[in-house]
Amino acid sequence: MSASTQLGSQLVDLCSVLLLLCCFAIVAQRRLSACVDLFALQSAFLAATAALVAFLTGHKHIYFAAALTIVIKVIVLPRILRKVIERLNVSRELGMNINIPAGLLICGALVIVAFFITQPIIPLGYLLTRDSLAIALAIILIGFFTMIARQKAITQMVGFLVMENGVFLGATAAAYGMPLIVELGVFFDVLVAGLIVGIYTHRLQDTFDSVDTSTLTVLKE
Amino acid sequence: MWSVIVLLTGPVLAGLLSLVIHRARVLHVVNFSTMLALAVAETALTRQVLAEGSVTTLGGFVYVDALSDFILVIITAIGLSCSLYMWSYMDDRVARGVIAPKRLGHFFFLFHMFLFAMVAATMANSLGVQWVALEGTTLATTFLIAFFRRRESLEAGWKYLILCSVGIALALFGVVLTYYSSVRVLGDASSALNMTALIGVANQLDPNVLKLAFIFMLVGYGTKVGLVPMHTWLPDAYSEAPAPIAAMLAGVLETVAVYTVLRSKALVDQALPPEFTGNLLLTFGLLSFIVASLFILIQHNYKRLFAYSSIEHMGLAMIGFGVGGMIGTFGGLFHLLNHAVAKALAFFVAGNIHRRFDTLEIDGVRGLARAQPITAVAILVAGCALVGLPPFSPFVSELLIVSAVAAQDFSSDTMHVGRFVTMTISDEMRSLGIVALFLFFAVVLFGGFMFRVGAMVWGTPPAGIAQGESWTAGHVSLMIMIVALLGLGFVLPEPIQMLLTRAVNVIVVR
Repeated sequence: MSASTQLGSQLVDLCSVLLLLCCFAIVAQRRLSACVDLFALQSAFLAATAALVAFLTGHKHIYFAAALTIVIKVIVLPRILRKVIERLNVSRELGMNINIPAGLLICGALVIVAFFITQPIIPLGYLLTRDSLAIALAIILIGFFTMIARQKAITQMVGFLVMENGVFLGATAAAYGMPLIVELGVFFDVLVAGLIVGIYTHRLQDTFDSVDTSTLTVLKE
Repeated sequence: MWSVIVLLTGPVLAGLLSLVIHRARVLHVVNFSTMLALAVAETALTRQVLAEGSVTTLGGFVYVDALSDFILVIITAIGLSCSLYMWSYMDDRVARGVIAPKRLGHFFFLFHMFLFAMVAATMANSLGVQWVALEGTTLATTFLIAFFRRRESLEAGWKYLILCSVGIALALFGVVLTYYSSVRVLGDASSALNMTALIGVANQLDPNVLKLAFIFMLVGYGTKVGLVPMHTWLPDAYSEAPAPIAAMLAGVLETVAVYTVLRSKALVDQALPPEFTGNLLLTFGLLSFIVASLFILIQHNYKRLFAYSSIEHMGLAMIGFGVGGMIGTFGGLFHLLNHAVAKALAFFVAGNIHRRFDTLEIDGVRGLARAQPITAVAILVAGCALVGLPPFSPFVSELLIVSAVAAQDFSSDTMHVGRFVTMTISDEMRSLGIVALFLFFAVVLFGGFMFRVGAMVWGTPPAGIAQGESWTAGHVSLMIMIVALLGLGFVLPEPIQMLLTRAVNVIVVR
């Protein structure tokens, strides 16, 4: 392995790890607006990773994905979510299904699980980005966990967006990005999902006087 | 070529038109004529597929073979009868002030976006585009489910949005993994997710990556199908959605979700022994079938009853696909069609009952035979069909699936459900064990379901419920579906049979 590839590979790893760190910070954060800020920060790291991979491999279309990430996930979606939070009557998440220390421990375990699952398929990957696939799966699992652990509609949405970030890191890392049409479609879906959640929180607030999803208990067996 | 364009642009145009039209009658005419146009285009497409095997157009974006064409037949047929039903249903809702007249346009806009997303998901050549379209169906339907804006419907819509989005995000990781393995073989081409490209090289893909990819896709798309244990959104969504939307969700959207699972199965089976995907489908199918039949016993809300019956039937179809082979797969596909018709009929009936009795509780509905004679006949037919009684067509497909299970040749060195049930007994006993389990829960289901349906049909209607029923456009579609259920039980028309046989050949790898 040449020295430049090694340096590049380490830089990509560094960026991926920063994404993972953001996940842990989100799990440890009670303030809703801080969660949204951390998501924006994570998306910025994602864009940086993508741009780095694009630079090192010469795949021009990944630059495009990085630019879209900045526009949609760093600027537009956090702005929508902040607007929603401003209208709400709560800024902090008090009741959680799983408390923060336990949550952080579980997330640590999830990272180990992710590395364990991806172990047999990692040697297939490109040298530059092979470890990022495991980190991507870890981010997906932690995003999933956040959705289970939190009760506020907003943090559930942040959990979903974190999962999407994980999938994108996986796509960039594993295969140097997906076909352009697919990437565009996914960005479109994520954006619309963000808008819909904004409308929903509005209606939930009006109807239930709260965006706490633990009040949604009318429908059950 | 033109038929593909009509199928894709028809719903989009109709949806946009719905936003600017304000008169209810014009909206219905636009909706119905669009569905008619789609049905005509689909007939033409079927002819072409039967003649040429498969159709690839629009720069390789669209790929239609016998399997996807069969799913398109279901989409357009149920969509057409649904638009007839909506004519009377939605007008009635507006007349009673449940929804404001100006929201009717929004309803049709969302409905056509939903339809467009399903057609696109079925026709997409690329697995990635297929994912985008399937997520599109979630986004389009969440507001349709919450359309009445009651507390419960908001709750159901939110649950649906969150659970299905999460599930499908997992499926996207599965798609990424598939791309990871295929881009290696195909080179860095933008076509590395296209079915047309993948089919040729599938046996060179890395089996370990494909295993992981299939698990992620099965869990993700399985959430959309409503397989246990990812089914929790489904009864809520179906019971709160307006009746025609519930019919489309249960009859059509589930079918499209099953289609995406089948696509990935057909791909993975080329690189791995079919037992791997087969056993996973069999496990999920059997689990869904058993859990749903138990939940049917405790239902007191008729729309939830039909919702659990959906889970059960999807489980049944999955058992068919899991066992595989010609008979099992044929039975599974045929069952998708039969279930779509029977379940759409059931939800249309539920809409009729709800409008007359104004309650979703089974205990509140008595004497349907006197209050709504036509609807009573329809619910009896739907009930008999859904529990698999002859002479209705689901009986035929269920029989095919059961005989495929009984005749299954388990290879003993792989992991499968049979091992949990009967540990050391021979292969024949193992498949008979599954059949016995299946038949036992089929009986449980029969009792639970028919008991509830019978309770609604007979007896005297509660005081204050109007008696007698006059014909509307909605009743016409009820009659068509009854005839279809009966007819398909006796004869399978030549084109459908050919389509089914070819679709089986797409899925079954030899």
